[in-house]
Amino acid sequence: MIRRRFIAVAIACAAFVSMPAAVAGADDRQAAASGLIDTMIADLQAFLATDTGDVEARSAEIDRVLSTYFDMDTITRFSAGQYWRAANAEQKTEYGTLFREVLCGTIVRNFDQLNGLAYTPGAISAKGDKFVIVGGTFTDTAGARPPVAVNWRVLTREGQPPRVFDIEIENLSLLVTQKQENVAVIRKNRGQFGALIEAMQARLDAPLHSN
Amino acid sequence: MKLYPELDGIGACRFAAGALVTALLALAGCSSTPPVDRSDARDRYEDANRKVFAFNMGVDSYVLEPVASGYRNTVPEGGRTAVDNHLRWASMPSTAINSTLQGKFENAALASLNFLVNGLTLGFADLSEDDQEVQREDFGQTLAAYDVPEGSYLMVPVLGPRTTRSLTGNVVDFVMNPLQVFGTSSTADAVRTAQAPVGAVSFRASNFDAFNDVKYNSLDPYARTRSVYYQTRRGLLEDRVADRTGSAVSEDEFDSLF
Repeated sequence: MIRRRFIAVAIACAAFVSMPAAVAGADDRQAAASGLIDTMIADLQAFLATDTGDVEARSAEIDRVLSTYFDMDTITRFSAGQYWRAANAEQKTEYGTLFREVLCGTIVRNFDQLNGLAYTPGAISAKGDKFVIVGGTFTDTAGARPPVAVNWRVLTREGQPPRVFDIEIENLSLLVTQKQENVAVIRKNRGQFGALIEAMQARLDAPLHSN
Repeated sequence: MKLYPELDGIGACRFAAGALVTALLALAGCSSTPPVDRSDARDRYEDANRKVFAFNMGVDSYVLEPVASGYRNTVPEGGRTAVDNHLRWASMPSTAINSTLQGKFENAALASLNFLVNGLTLGFADLSEDDQEVQREDFGQTLAAYDVPEGSYLMVPVLGPRTTRSLTGNVVDFVMNPLQVFGTSSTADAVRTAQAPVGAVSFRASNFDAFNDVKYNSLDPYARTRSVYYQTRRGLLEDRVADRTGSAVSEDEFDSLF
């Protein structure tokens, strides 16, 4: 009886002692994630202030932003879904290159939409022990477009710097959408990972539709 | 000229119910796609849905896209806002009823007030001074609140992506159109008849660039549309879109990552 009571008290003490540490850890992760987004936005705004519309300069800037602030390896792996494991090393490398190219192309194509937007940070919340959601709102300074709510899903792993993993615009995850589309392409081709690579290559080779 | 002159009062109810029954019978007639051939487990009728999607893209290319482009380029922003206001106002009775059914009484009261105040201008001008935004609620969301399963994914001709549950909700919401109470005057009839096509053009124009990017630049526009539909619907069902906090993406999506 005494032993059981002792164990209960010990567990309660352990929980009490460990609680502040856990909370502090969550706070640290949230602060780190928020700081990453603030720095990235400031970085992008500095580029936009001197942007001349040159496509090559924009592509280089997007490539730099992706390398600096995004966890591209994990994003690439996730975007292929469960079929990543079925791909061989050569396919993984080729897919990684194409995926980055498609991503850069998509952002560059829509780059003009970033002009004239002001960013206001929003709520921050931890999702499990690996993700932090940093909210914010983009507002058109001219008032021509409605405000757009955005959530940055930041990967915060112990011992590693925080990195952006996904962007959710009006609750629409860009990464989940891409993943579901990629998986659909593979499934419609009987699980062939190579079919996705071919489709991506064909997409890149085809002339893009501009709005 | 009215497309469906018989659609007044009870006639509208019959038409709506008929449309639902026809759609369900048509789907029942479609053989479901074997699970191994589906690109998404939720898409039971994928082969038939892809054919309907191709048809819808044709309608979009020849009708909706050019009209939406013209609408965007010729109608001034104030005019487009007035149309959006009217379409939003027209959904208020449905929102009020569905909010009540879901126990969201504050939202129901706001929707009722909005409908009464803005009814003076048929909703074209927003006269309400309340900053609190009314969250749109449809009967599909009410069914979800009562744990009715969402059913199969459906690509409906002209209407676009739906689930069985949301399509059923659309039919009920159609019957709740507030212009039914204005009787059979020619003005009310004209406005009522124009609502659906105008709503489609307004939606297409508001999302013109994003829609075209999916249509022309994605690997599989059908799969991308389906993903966008499910995520958007999930956001609505979890009431995340309006309060703009947190994330509507299921954490299950990321389980396989670590």
